[in-house]
Amino acid sequence: MNHAIISCLHANLPAAEAVLNDIDRQGIDTITCLGDLVGYGPQPNEVVELIRKRDIPTCQGCWDEDIIDGLNACECSYPSQLAERRGHLAHQWTDDQLTDENKSFLASLPTSLRRDRLLFVHGSPNSQHEYLLPDMDAFAALERVETAGADILFCGHTHQPYVRELRDGSIRVRLQNADHDCDQGEELTLPMRKIVNAGSVGEPRHGSTNATYVIHNDATDEVEIKEVPYDVGRTCQAIVEAGLPKVFAWRLSHGFEFAEQAEDASHVCER
Amino acid sequence: MIERWALVSGLRGDLETYDLIQRDLKKTRGVTALFVLGDLVGPERNCDALLDRLKNPHRGDLKPDCIYGWWEEQLLAERGFRGERKADALRLSQGEDAVNVLLNTVNPSNLNWLASLQFGFIELDCALIHGSSSDVGDNLTSETSPLILLDRLTRLNVNRLFTARSTKQFHLELTGGGINSQVKDLNGKREQQQEVPKRSVIGIGAGLNYTLYDVGSDKTHFLTAGSQTKTKGMGFA
Repeated sequence: MNHAIISCLHANLPAAEAVLNDIDRQGIDTITCLGDLVGYGPQPNEVVELIRKRDIPTCQGCWDEDIIDGLNACECSYPSQLAERRGHLAHQWTDDQLTDENKSFLASLPTSLRRDRLLFVHGSPNSQHEYLLPDMDAFAALERVETAGADILFCGHTHQPYVRELRDGSIRVRLQNADHDCDQGEELTLPMRKIVNAGSVGEPRHGSTNATYVIHNDATDEVEIKEVPYDVGRTCQAIVEAGLPKVFAWRLSHGFEFAEQAEDASHVCER
Repeated sequence: MIERWALVSGLRGDLETYDLIQRDLKKTRGVTALFVLGDLVGPERNCDALLDRLKNPHRGDLKPDCIYGWWEEQLLAERGFRGERKADALRLSQGEDAVNVLLNTVNPSNLNWLASLQFGFIELDCALIHGSSSDVGDNLTSETSPLILLDRLTRLNVNRLFTARSTKQFHLELTGGGINSQVKDLNGKREQQQEVPKRSVIGIGAGLNYTLYDVGSDKTHFLTAGSQTKTKGMGFA
């Protein structure tokens, strides 16, 4: 059976509607959402209510967490101090806009969802704020999946969709301890595991303006990355009209992160 | 000079043990540094005399460089040095009475010094931490999955991780292996191969059991203070 995984909607209603329509057209009725319903975009209440109305199982993203618990994101997640200030502005604006009912919904979301050996998280099993990038250390990536007791880990947060298969792994070790002066050597064979990143519905950063999501077939374990065009201009206009930083609209209309460089060379994590 | 480190942990207020270790070290050639990897305090006894000795070494003592461990973390949390966190791990595992006992083992005048201790040291390509890069309470042993050990090393980008939380003495070397991965994205597929870097996790022991590490030769020696049985060939005078 096919099921769809969506992530990082970021208060972008036209993108969310386009992706859900695309999923509906394929007759897929099992959808899982990996969080970040709000933040950056101009329609936080509308997107939260769409997810609630469709009763889509959702885990809590870092933005959803921060809106509830106060700004708590590691500053490292921003590429510059200006980006950080824009993020804080968006946080305040979103906090002002969201209804109490929708905040309660975000607060009620679990940090992970599990179906048999499939695990669904926003960032990583360790944290909603940890990025599992496609080229991260392969052993560390495998450790995240294996320690969580999953065969396939579905995540978002990076806004870049990918499927990473980790296989043919082994680690050889040699042990010396206080009780045995002789060395003991052995080899651990590592299991094959998969990480699937659903990309972003509402704020893609993979070099295209199209929204992305993934479809997983739980019989064959095949994963398809889907791209869906939507009315980017409509969302960009709503961003500007809402008084949110215009660079958010620029970013949506280009499909990648915007980061200032030289003047922020001294940026350091405050946490 | 070739460096030789002494690594100690789990003293838990036991000044007599610390004194025995210092005497051993005086008789051992070439020890250039003494690292105390946490658990300076513990619930068994009043710890102030040991803390005073660590802060103010006797003449002839090898000067200790200390970090905090699990017991300090519990004490400091309960005493309000860790924000809203309390000694939840201790409370959960040993109950309210254990928390109260711990609070009475250290004079409040020592708390600021304990709070000033660091989480760990990075020396050369070695991390010296009570638990691991993941958590001060991370209990790494020779039985821990090598995948987890490699992760803890990778997080700090070091080749050696010295840990004390388990109280065990072991030297586990990652000697080889590898992994293949395939990444598929909207631009296509790419294959990656990665080899296991040669790295080690060393459990240094606790209390009377301590470790010497020869930096130049990457050799560890597991010792017991006051015992001559394991000191053969160790350069004792």
